[in-house]
Amino acid sequence: MTQINRLQAGGRIDRSKPLTFRFDGKSYQGYQGDTLASALLANGVDVVGRSFKYSRPRGIMAAGADEPNAVLQLGATEATQIPNVRATQQAVYDGLEAQPTNGWPSVNLDAMGFVGRWFGRFMPPGFYYKTFMYPQSLWMFYEKHIRRAAGLGRSPRAPDADQYDHINQHADVLVVGGGPAGLGAALAAARAGARVMLADEQEEPGGSLLDSAAQIDGEAASVWVTRVVNELADRENVLLLPRSTVNGYHDHNFLTIHERRADHLGDRAPEGMTRQRLHRVRARWVVLATGAHERPLVYGNNDVPGCFVAAALSTYLRRYAVAPGRSLVVSTANDYGYRAAFDWQDAGHEVVALVDSRANPQGAWQEEARERGLRLITGAAVSDVRGSKRVKAAAIVPLNEDGTQATGSLQWLTCDTVATSGGWSPAVHLSCHTGARPQWRDDIIGFVPGESREQMLTAGAVAGSYSLADCLKEGVSAGLKAATEAGFSGADVPVPTVSELAETPPMALFAVPHPKPNSRAPKQFVDYQNDVTAAGIELATREGFESIEHVKRYTAMGFGTDQGKLGNINGMAIAARSLGQTIPETGTTVFRPNYTPVTFGAIAGRHCRELFEPKRYTAMQPWHEQHGAEFENVGQWKRPWYYPKPGESMQEALNRECLATRESVGILDASTLGKIDIQGKDAREFIGRVYSNAWAKLAPGKCRYGLMCGEDGMVFDDGVTSCLGANHFLMTTTTGGAAHVLEWLELYHQTEWPELEVYFNSVTDHWATMGVAGPNSRKLLAELIEDIDLDGEAFRFMDWRQGTICGVPCRVFRISFTGELQYEINVPAHYGLYIWERLFEHGEKYNLTPYGTETMHILRAEKGFIIAGQDTDGSVHPYDLGMGWAVGENKPFSFIGRRGMKREDCVRPNRKQFVGLKTKDPNIVLPEGAHAVADPSQPKPMAMLGHVTSSYYSAFLGRSIALGFIKGGHERMGDTVYYPLEDGRVVEAEICSTIFLDPKGERQNV
Amino acid sequence: MSEVPDSVAVIDQIPQQGEPLTPRTPLHHTARAGGAGQLHYREHDLTGLLVLRGNAADKAFAEAVKATFGCPLAKTLSFVMAQEVSLLWLSPDEWWVLCPPDQAYALEVQLRERYSGHFALANNTGGMTRIQLSGPQAVQVLKKSIPYDVHDAHFPVGKVVATVFGKTQAVVRRLGQNDWEILARRSFADYIWRWVEDAASEYQR
Repeated sequence: MTQINRLQAGGRIDRSKPLTFRFDGKSYQGYQGDTLASALLANGVDVVGRSFKYSRPRGIMAAGADEPNAVLQLGATEATQIPNVRATQQAVYDGLEAQPTNGWPSVNLDAMGFVGRWFGRFMPPGFYYKTFMYPQSLWMFYEKHIRRAAGLGRSPRAPDADQYDHINQHADVLVVGGGPAGLGAALAAARAGARVMLADEQEEPGGSLLDSAAQIDGEAASVWVTRVVNELADRENVLLLPRSTVNGYHDHNFLTIHERRADHLGDRAPEGMTRQRLHRVRARWVVLATGAHERPLVYGNNDVPGCFVAAALSTYLRRYAVAPGRSLVVSTANDYGYRAAFDWQDAGHEVVALVDSRANPQGAWQEEARERGLRLITGAAVSDVRGSKRVKAAAIVPLNEDGTQATGSLQWLTCDTVATSGGWSPAVHLSCHTGARPQWRDDIIGFVPGESREQMLTAGAVAGSYSLADCLKEGVSAGLKAATEAGFSGADVPVPTVSELAETPPMALFAVPHPKPNSRAPKQFVDYQNDVTAAGIELATREGFESIEHVKRYTAMGFGTDQGKLGNINGMAIAARSLGQTIPETGTTVFRPNYTPVTFGAIAGRHCRELFEPKRYTAMQPWHEQHGAEFENVGQWKRPWYYPKPGESMQEALNRECLATRESVGILDASTLGKIDIQGKDAREFIGRVYSNAWAKLAPGKCRYGLMCGEDGMVFDDGVTSCLGANHFLMTTTTGGAAHVLEWLELYHQTEWPELEVYFNSVTDHWATMGVAGPNSRKLLAELIEDIDLDGEAFRFMDWRQGTICGVPCRVFRISFTGELQYEINVPAHYGLYIWERLFEHGEKYNLTPYGTETMHILRAEKGFIIAGQDTDGSVHPYDLGMGWAVGENKPFSFIGRRGMKREDCVRPNRKQFVGLKTKDPNIVLPEGAHAVADPSQPKPMAMLGHVTSSYYSAFLGRSIALGFIKGGHERMGDTVYYPLEDGRVVEAEICSTIFLDPKGERQNV
Repeated sequence: MSEVPDSVAVIDQIPQQGEPLTPRTPLHHTARAGGAGQLHYREHDLTGLLVLRGNAADKAFAEAVKATFGCPLAKTLSFVMAQEVSLLWLSPDEWWVLCPPDQAYALEVQLRERYSGHFALANNTGGMTRIQLSGPQAVQVLKKSIPYDVHDAHFPVGKVVATVFGKTQAVVRRLGQNDWEILARRSFADYIWRWVEDAASEYQR
């Protein structure tokens, strides 16, 4: 197909580089430099989508981020699908595949259009809520079908084939927007010596200058752009980011920029390059030069393809050499609309009429229009359009002086294109992110950024200054000010000189009156993406919605992916008039990040797949992997869970690991337990204050178990602390609690007891720790350790010794979490794997068996040892656990939690207490979390007595065992309780001691 | 039988007997080196690390430190070097002493002999590894990894910071214009290594 709308000459496209792309199943050609929108218009494609509610045909209206209709689905494969890409912001590349995001079976033959055309008048705002509310249970069903019918793109069903990443940036001055103001600001700040970033969302910097007819310093505007961009690119203190949208302006001048690095290159990013990059910028000063969006006028059937905002026409004509029509009617309330008519005429096409709503405008623009011989009609505006898939005619209506009344009937003009300008709306979005509320200015008929708490300046159109000379002047001055504030000054940056036509004041016109009342007139769209009409907004105010925020939510105005960039101000003006208020009285809604949609890929960056979360490994990790360990996540640690042999089930592996340990010797990698080195003359005193039990008499060479409680008296961690020297202790913590415990110690030291001389250092990663447990553990160690007397009398339970194992200095702690004779060996981690391997060399004859966390859990449960965090949940104090022996009531200085555990509720009878549980049927393993009741036949909801916290099958005992809480459990030994389960079974269990094995400790004290 | 010291348990952690043992650094399971052209990275051999805590305002402490390590207590956010020893500022009362592993014990004993006031010294040699990052593109890898500003004006040679790295943390110092070092905790070293390999890949083409 030929590019029927392409001009013979001009534009910034490269005609020597034709590109082929597909849209809606058809193949088209464009040029390097085209956007998807300009290429579609060049090919005469009028309909690019169907509307949200009424399924009306929609065409391209704008040329930038404000485009509401040309929102397309991109991607040649399932893995490269991107929904909701604005065709106006997507460069064409060879092989680009685009689909409409709605319309079935195609945008030109849409089944839902029938519904919208014939039933649209019965679909007021809130239609879906009102109609599909009952019965409530069916909403999910309705919603599915409504969403499919409305449709705005779809997510890919295959994993993304490309990579995305993040980068951190710092700048003295971040300039947002590369139009005249932004380029001026960046140049000024850069010459002052500041570190400058300039982010611009388009394919190339320049903004409005890329389609401007103006001259700067006596040259074409584009020449000035090239010179400035070249200087910026050459400077080492400048980072230029094209195709980069500043999407979020967060607290403390932290901004996020979405850079599309490869979206213009192809369906896939080139090898070795991320597709998109999220820049996380911390800027000292920010200059917002985000420009403004032109407001279209609101008139009847203003959504028929062929209706444009006026400035977009100039962009397509001058930048892309595309004339998307042949005969044009321009309707404007200001001088800006004139440019579209002039550019259209210059392209050699017919301007049917230039309609100005002002009664008698007299100025340079009007003079030029007359000189050009254009048909200038004043005191009127476009009120209606005829056509379905393309404009066929436009009707103008005479207006009273303030534009509120139609003073005559419609006059139809034959044309295929309508361009309107109601003025400019500054792009205040980013300033809104900082919490600044936009301020209304009557003189420019628009909201400008309100005062911000951030170190932020504005320049150019975003500040309401629309003339090129003002934009350049404000840009340079904002750049210099930002640089000066950031500590750089002395730059000499002359403001470029510009020749442009003088302006005549604009008129405030938003919705053009129709001879019929709005409720009877053709649809006058305000928000195109959500099909919100002027009549809908008026209805909402009649139904009692007075706050603009409520009107917005009721009508869905501004809720599309475009956030209502084109329509919001018009909607507010209509609501204000309907409510009999001024616009500032009505106020405006504000914007949230992101300015334009950001892909999930860019948000995730490289934090995905194997880098999604840090995995912490011990020194013995390679051995665990080689020996087939299954792993369990404990905090960020990977811990061996169990080591299945080929063909073994998990339970079989656990049975084998448990029996081998109880009968001979097993080994556990305990390196993950937190280890805190505590030094200082007050170390002992400090430990006594943070643990509930007594520490005053623990001698060097001895170890002791401790319970750590919060202020509320509830247990949060436990572990063994060893006295290494009079002023030196080694505290161990649970694996998951290590970081919190260290912070807890630092917090109390720094805020409560700074007078205590003590320092804490984490040595968790320094020591590799191996727990060797079982009756043969002593024999095994005796083969490897020469300089420690392992005799039971010389090296007793809860002692530690320093020595050497296989030549490596070590500390050996005789402590036990299994109830067996057990030694925990600490060696520097860089020798951990070596010692582990030596142990296995010597351990083969004892059937040395590696065991993981699950066997550790079973072995400790057989002995009734708690696991903080599994058997405790923050509501359990030491007495509840039956561990009153670990509370040092007679310590001279108090300890954390002492008062807490004396509270009335903590000492009442019938608290839930920690007990052992034996099922009547020894083969049934109670599920953890099961709740106990006294009488399973009682009506629901049943009175619950407590729950199971730990439950396992014990191969050594040949039966199941469980630990849990029962109200008043310590006084109920031997009682029967029942566990009604989800599947209907009721399990009977007897309350017993928590110690299932060796209550006298004969196995460990040998 | 071993003897437990009286006040603070100080042990020489270097194997003394038999064949010399090769310590396995936290990244021994990786290639330990990578990069090309504008960017290189490698894991340093095992380095002795003593974590020093004390009061910088205490003159006797500062003098004992200087006499022992050959360099003064490093000032805020900086490190100092003398011979084979580096002293890195970590927080107002914390420094890292980097030294050859076989000197750690002797240095600790010397400092304890010189100064008997309140301080702490903990051997953490096994708990840390050093990843050197060099070449003109090293800053790009750092920018993708840490939020801290690595610009010359903000992160000159001689500076050290503890900061966020990916989703964990690391200590980063600048040894030369294009020479950086990441000091990573042993258990997180694999994650940091993979992160560096990934971040570096685009600069090795």
